[in-house]
Amino acid sequence: LRKRTKTAKISIEGMTCNSCVQTIEHQIGSYTGVESINVSLDNKEATVDYNPELITLDSIKDAIEDMGFDAAINHPSL
Amino acid sequence: MTTHEYKVEMTCSGCSGAVTRILTKKLTEPGSSFDVDLENKKVTITSELPADTLTEMLKKCGKEVSYIGVK
Repeated sequence: LRKRTKTAKISIEGMTCNSCVQTIEHQIGSYTGVESINVSLDNKEATVDYNPELITLDSIKDAIEDMGFDAAINHPSL
Repeated sequence: MTTHEYKVEMTCSGCSGAVTRILTKKLTEPGSSFDVDLENKKVTITSELPADTLTEMLKKCGKEVSYIGVK
């Protein structure tokens, strides 16, 4: 079984409370190709499970920026 | 230029900061201006753009937006 889901971390600046977190989780989680998203207010970071055949990491990042937050992709250091 | 008033469900400075950032980025026509009032959950925008376009702009932040009317 080939697993298509990829996991990525995106750092997000500008969140101050849980309502920010929930808004992002709700909005981004509704996109096709995003399987799950978990936003941590403490780490200023979102952990996203996504299907790269349906959505790119860049468009997820752009979507967060469109919501008015600064987002940056955390490239895993291999 | 028309001044429009909107009610936006903002709960914290992060929410109003997000709205401010969106408007700073998208509201680029000369002479336009805006004001974000977190306490009264109100956003006032002076622009030549139609009210619907501004509503869509505000909705991008994922919060509930309702149009109050022209000031």
